[in-house]
Amino acid sequence: MSDAILPGPHLTDPDPLHPAGHGLGRHAAQPAGEDAPSPPDVSGVTPHVTRHDLSFTGSAREYFRLWIVNVALTLVTLGVYLPWARVRTRQYFYGHTWLDGQNFEYRANPAALLRGYLLVGALFGLYSYASQRELYWLALPLIVLYVALYPWLVWRSLQFQAANTVHRGLNFSFHGTAGDSYVAYGAANVAAGVAGIFALPWAWFMQRQYQVRGLGYGQARGHFRGDVAPFYIIGLTSLGLSLAGGIVALLLGGLVAGAWSALSGDLRSGADLEDLFGSTTFWIFAGVAYVSFLLLYTVAWQYVRGATMKYVLNNAELGGVVRTGATFSPWGLVWLSVTNSLAQAVTLGLATPWAAVRRARFILGGVHVRTITDLDHFRGQAQQPGSALGEAASELLDIQVGF
Amino acid sequence: MTRPEPVPVTLSGVYFDGHSSRDRTAELTLGHPVLLTLDGATHTFGPHELTLDPPIPGVRRVIRLPGGARFETSDFAPLLSWERAGGRNRALRGVAWLEGRWGSALGAVALAFTLLGAFIVWGIPALAAQAARVTPRGVLASFDEQTLRVLEERDLIGPSGLTAERQAQLQREFRQVQAWAGGGYPYRLLLRDGEPAGDLGVGANAFALPNGTIVMTDQLVALARSDRELLGVLAHETGHVTRRHGLATVYQGLGLGLVGTLLTGDLVSSTSFAAAVPAAILRGGYSRAAETEADRESADFMLSRYGTTRPLQDILTRLDAQEGDRSGDRGSWLDLLRSHPVTRERVAALKALDRR
Repeated sequence: MSDAILPGPHLTDPDPLHPAGHGLGRHAAQPAGEDAPSPPDVSGVTPHVTRHDLSFTGSAREYFRLWIVNVALTLVTLGVYLPWARVRTRQYFYGHTWLDGQNFEYRANPAALLRGYLLVGALFGLYSYASQRELYWLALPLIVLYVALYPWLVWRSLQFQAANTVHRGLNFSFHGTAGDSYVAYGAANVAAGVAGIFALPWAWFMQRQYQVRGLGYGQARGHFRGDVAPFYIIGLTSLGLSLAGGIVALLLGGLVAGAWSALSGDLRSGADLEDLFGSTTFWIFAGVAYVSFLLLYTVAWQYVRGATMKYVLNNAELGGVVRTGATFSPWGLVWLSVTNSLAQAVTLGLATPWAAVRRARFILGGVHVRTITDLDHFRGQAQQPGSALGEAASELLDIQVGF
Repeated sequence: MTRPEPVPVTLSGVYFDGHSSRDRTAELTLGHPVLLTLDGATHTFGPHELTLDPPIPGVRRVIRLPGGARFETSDFAPLLSWERAGGRNRALRGVAWLEGRWGSALGAVALAFTLLGAFIVWGIPALAAQAARVTPRGVLASFDEQTLRVLEERDLIGPSGLTAERQAQLQREFRQVQAWAGGGYPYRLLLRDGEPAGDLGVGANAFALPNGTIVMTDQLVALARSDRELLGVLAHETGHVTRRHGLATVYQGLGLGLVGTLLTGDLVSSTSFAAAVPAAILRGGYSRAAETEADRESADFMLSRYGTTRPLQDILTRLDAQEGDRSGDRGSWLDLLRSHPVTRERVAALKALDRR
């Protein structure tokens, strides 16, 4: 296959958008095939499946120093440094993620992010001011604007994230359309809001499909083999877990409160409901139930995240030659999330970097790609990162985009 | 300024042309010019044609070549000295330097906690007071009603047992305080039983809600030896209203909750803020500074009326003494007036105002 790439570096190629002849030799011979989403050509090669495991080489100690220094710099600069801190954090995690001997890279421009942050921050500040001063003629249009632009912002954010992710010198890209985003993030979210659990898994499916199908690496395009049914199974599992856990939480709260009541004689027999609300027993019950529900919420939500991530990874393809796969256990991820949260709470947040590294190591250690071609046979297609507005909005306004 | 000419060093790494994902082993010699050795051929560049991405701890470095190609290397040390000599990435190189040391990391921890502490101690109260000042009147009204409902539901206060004549007399006297306090709030005095269900209630107490509702309990009325004492307390409470201390306390609680959420992440983020509002008024009490301010307002009133703050001092001392008695048998968990900071110092401050 060494003849596939024309010899000699094309270091001074003036037009990187049309790298004709610099990719695979056979592709170069195809007339006008540049724009069609075509997989790297592998005809004539016996399909031989190679498996590459992802690995993560970051360490908690190293990342702790990066994290705390960037937190301090952000505080000292009153937030101006924040985009640099975000970019460095991503660069650390991408840079320590390895696939087949090459690492990933994140290359967003912090200055562009800062402009986006400032714009979004200004709009949000204007909205806060307007709603506090009860200037509804100003607050209402801003809310409408945000809701109407939400899918568009997601779309821009996906483009930004993909275009700023680099592997083997080629950037990823996102080719989903804004219109499809209005289906996947607009219509689907509205449906989920109306029909709740009956439509929510469908919304997850639409969104993941939109993300994977739109993904491109070089000239290769993503393909999603998944179906909507497993999303419903994941949703129902989570719902069942919540219901069962909720009953257990109530029983547990009742048990602890009952034990307290029996030991302290706090509630006399024949006490009416009014007495109940003032009693210590009631507060113990409420406290235990509250913490249990919080825990349950974390467990149910993390299960959904982990299980959908695994399912999507197991059903994603790139360019017809690369399939991703995941072997990590969603329940393992749940356990990890719960213990991470506890560690962060106990250490007043100082365990955050450790938790992040632990999570990355767990997930990436359970992800692999299987390929029937060498990973060095993809051809490039440049995509400009575009404006950082969508990305800034999704980070600041906490839009849930990524897997 | 003369810089010593850097000695050319050769880095080994990997080359990508930017058009395909093919990796090729290459060498880069940093000198004038920079030489790239690739597949036996050598390419030359001026140093200014190259861009070096800022360093990230432990991550392979990227040198961007003209035309979208790149050279990646893990030969950190020689590349760093070349970067330093060329004055590249000054700011972010400094950041990476800080990130590489435990000393600076510990310094950053200390700095972060100091700033956080300062923000909690000074920043949040200042912001809360500011927010309380600009909060529209409409919001205030709902606070009062909600809090009263909670207090009644939990049997912390109940209907007053005072005679109608006594109540009317107190209301009449309250009108003086009300007229003096001003500020345009819809003031009203609610006389309530502070122990409708025994010890669990608020006891001998008086407190102000943000929109000018002032609750005074029968137990406090019984504790007073003269109505001047009660008027002193009422003037103190109107001081909390006009200075918007109650609302500031609520905002402060919300701010602290927010900081807690930021620190601990997901686990607490689903805490409902709405639930915190009545609780903050009930449990939090006011800050020392707020009490001092309200005391001063009350002193103004008393000095203008009676020429002395003595009655307020007396009832504060008596409340304090009563609390001492009660703490023997499990005192109420809800102490508002009585949880005021260090009564003795407050009385001393009032005496000082008297002498002036």
